[in-house]
Amino acid sequence: MANPQKPRAPFAPWDRRELPGSFSVEETARRVGHYKWAEMKLFEALGGWIATVPELDIKMRLGTHCYKHAWHAELWHKRLPELREMNPERLTLPANDAMVRFIDAMTEPEAPELTIEKLVGVYRVFIPHFISAYTYHLNNTSEITDMPTIRSIKFILQDEFDDWREGEMLIQSLLETPEEVDRAAAHQAKLEKIMLEAGGIAGPGSIGINTPAPQGAMS
Amino acid sequence: MKKFMPVEELARDERFNQITQADRMSDARSAVPANAESTRRSSNRLTPARADASDAARALMHGIFVGEIQALEGAGRTCWDFTTGEEAPFGLKLDMARQAWDEARHVEISLKLGDWMGSDVGQYAENTVLFQAACSNDPVLRLAGVNRALEGLAIDVFTSMKEFGEMAGDPYLEFCEDWMLADEVTHVKMGSDWLRKVTENDPERRKKALEFQSIVDKMFSYGGSRSDSDESSLGIARRFRELAGFTSDENEHIADLGLQALEERKAQIREKQAAAKN
Amino acid sequence: MAITVTPETFSFVSFDSAYIARIANLVAEQLGLTDIDIEIAVDETSPLTRIDVEVTDSLISIRPLSGALEDTRRPRQQSELATTLAMARSMLRARDRLRGGFENAPLDTELSLPQAAAWDTYILGRITRMSIEVKKQAALYNFRNRHGFNDASDHVFEKIWNAETFTWDELSALSANTLTLSA
Ligand SMILES: [Fe+2]
Ligand SMILES: [Fe+2]
Repeated sequence: MANPQKPRAPFAPWDRRELPGSFSVEETARRVGHYKWAEMKLFEALGGWIATVPELDIKMRLGTHCYKHAWHAELWHKRLPELREMNPERLTLPANDAMVRFIDAMTEPEAPELTIEKLVGVYRVFIPHFISAYTYHLNNTSEITDMPTIRSIKFILQDEFDDWREGEMLIQSLLETPEEVDRAAAHQAKLEKIMLEAGGIAGPGSIGINTPAPQGAMS
Repeated sequence: MKKFMPVEELARDERFNQITQADRMSDARSAVPANAESTRRSSNRLTPARADASDAARALMHGIFVGEIQALEGAGRTCWDFTTGEEAPFGLKLDMARQAWDEARHVEISLKLGDWMGSDVGQYAENTVLFQAACSNDPVLRLAGVNRALEGLAIDVFTSMKEFGEMAGDPYLEFCEDWMLADEVTHVKMGSDWLRKVTENDPERRKKALEFQSIVDKMFSYGGSRSDSDESSLGIARRFRELAGFTSDENEHIADLGLQALEERKAQIREKQAAAKN
Repeated sequence: MAITVTPETFSFVSFDSAYIARIANLVAEQLGLTDIDIEIAVDETSPLTRIDVEVTDSLISIRPLSGALEDTRRPRQQSELATTLAMARSMLRARDRLRGGFENAPLDTELSLPQAAAWDTYILGRITRMSIEVKKQAALYNFRNRHGFNDASDHVFEKIWNAETFTWDELSALSANTLTLSA
């Protein structure tokens, strides 16, 4: 750099971040509150199930994953006051009644023979819905004003992908007969239907609403 | 899934055989000489100098392994059993989730150490006393039972095993125990801090929790297997306990409990052995 | 030859003396110890695993603590494998002393811990080849505890484990050498 006085563009040529975002402060806080609630329900369920699964490898994975989701809940808990919500508990809410029913149905399996159902609920339904809601948020929020949320989502998504892969592999390793494949599919369908009603982790619009884009000025 | 799981429901594969503390105590045999005065005084301390050191270390390692499983389960259950806010603060539950991860690693470490020392999963009976004694339905009592009594015991056990590894020149054992010890000190600290915080304005509840801890501590002295006496296989790791936030009074109390438990066990063994001989 | 087992009935543990005698008989036949009396006295008051063995020209006396015959998964129950192993270990040790080149070995109580571990390795290696299940890793761990956690020690372990005809002098020299290397 020959001349330190020479003006430079404040946004470097490779920095293509955009200012506009789809979410207001309020809307972001609402979503983050739902994320926190859902992550809490997930870590609590994983913690509770540890003692109910006889498979030693799965027991240890659940213990490991339990903490990751607790940490996600903590990240969201800390983000809420930065979004003008000084009482984080006020927004730590389920998106709707269907979400509550989803958690009830997901955490219903308890017996030691039901490891497939437990894992399917988490790794084939719940976590994929986290991944999609977080991805939508990541791709639609302001890359400048909401950078703290983006940073957290990036950390969290890394965990979600890792855990999803691990959970999916555990399920595949448990499925040994066509009947077990049916069991897994039936449970997944049952939960997915409740999730459909809930509209996703943050309620309807968790992953946006897919309508035809405006055709532009010439149409 | 219900709240509060009874110990009999802890899920295990067929390799495991679970026994209760009552089963163990009904065993009239004893490694501790019932009449210490009349027998040639022999140390039961777990050191490499014992002729059966490898066998004893292997058995203790398996005990640690199943203890870690129960600690993992206990920490996980605290995340589930208590409603956030009303029954247990959010931060406390986050700590318990963190502990679940740590205990999961301890199970992994114990499995690797079991392979190293030549034992199989489930080779020894699993005493479920840790979960049974520590998992109270009151979150404060559970903290006292799990994070102070159980984790305190873990500190004593790991210190013994670390010293054993050091003396025997086993680099693998010493390395692993040192890492686990670091985690356990953190767990005790979590327990001490939360116990203080949660009962800040409730001295009655704090007293109850400490009494509960004392009962559990005595149970965990396992009929005399932990005390300052050489007749116990484990000692009391005062230095690490203090690091974890136990006061020296508390450590002396545990030392007293250990000696009491040892004497009671010896009396019990004398009685049972006399009965068996008649 | 005669095999006797005491006590006849057990009160501290659920062991079966006839079963112990049957196993002892099978092992004695396998080891060619059919020309000598064998007396087995179980100390059922201790759960530890030590076994004392004494040998004269006419009698092998085996005194296991009850833990040596026990099923570690089911306290106080007898294990067929543990009993078989205990008998095989004790009788091989006796046979070594009687006619295996161990005539000048010190008494069991006078063996150093490394010497005892080396001899045990030699015994367990041969037991493996009798198709009795032995945990080799556990034997290795014991050997390492007594001779050092290093490659030299592991190498000697393998050598002893695979040996069929060592004398006491050879074995004790190997053990002593390994200790020097590990020091
Ligand atoms: Fe632990
Ligand atoms: Fe711990």
